[in-house]
Amino acid sequence: MFEILFGDEGEVICRGRLDAAQSEKAESFFGSLSGASVVDFEELEYISSAGLAILLKTQKRLSESGAALKIVNVNKHIHDIFRYSGFTAIFEIETK
Amino acid sequence: MAERAFSRSIDRVSDVYRFAEEIFESDDIAQDVRFPIHLALEELFVNLVTYNEGAERDINIDVATHDGGVTVTITDYDAQDFDVTQSRDVDVKATLEERKPGGLGLHLIQHMVDHLEYDYRSGRSKIRFTKERQ
Repeated sequence: MFEILFGDEGEVICRGRLDAAQSEKAESFFGSLSGASVVDFEELEYISSAGLAILLKTQKRLSESGAALKIVNVNKHIHDIFRYSGFTAIFEIETK
Repeated sequence: MAERAFSRSIDRVSDVYRFAEEIFESDDIAQDVRFPIHLALEELFVNLVTYNEGAERDINIDVATHDGGVTVTITDYDAQDFDVTQSRDVDVKATLEERKPGGLGLHLIQHMVDHLEYDYRSGRSKIRFTKERQ
């Protein structure tokens, strides 16, 4: 189960498990972002390389206009994945 | 120990997850062990489905728990030879401009599981990995 939606303050809320089977839904949503965005992972339990590829692709696209994603409320396990992937150097990340 | 066969579809990823999770629940496996096992299972299953075009036979997954740790064996009888233990060319220190999306799956597995073995014979690929209790 994976959900992605805008929160009350315009942040992107991700919920559940972002696996390869859900990546199309995530890619479509992230592809619609046109400016700097906060992405809230408070309720995201899991992410695999399919989700990482979408985040990286979005960050590269936004950086062309000087914007960026900020990812907040990241759990310990997902933060480990970010660290091993080198994402801690190319995203602003806040842990839970 | 439990074993199940899964048809070759990315959509089966959630069934693979549920299969393993049921075993972890009943054997009280810690989240620090579950997470890397779920990640490795998904990445390897997706690789086998994606990169063995034309293959038809189901992919077999065997999950065994032991002293709080987990060993998984994935057997594909319809596979090409692709050694998942070999290091891949992923530069995780590259700048954002230099980074290319993709290719992180095997890199992550190689860092997050404790043992990773690969054996290939005449179209049969067997991958075994373990995560010990922390």
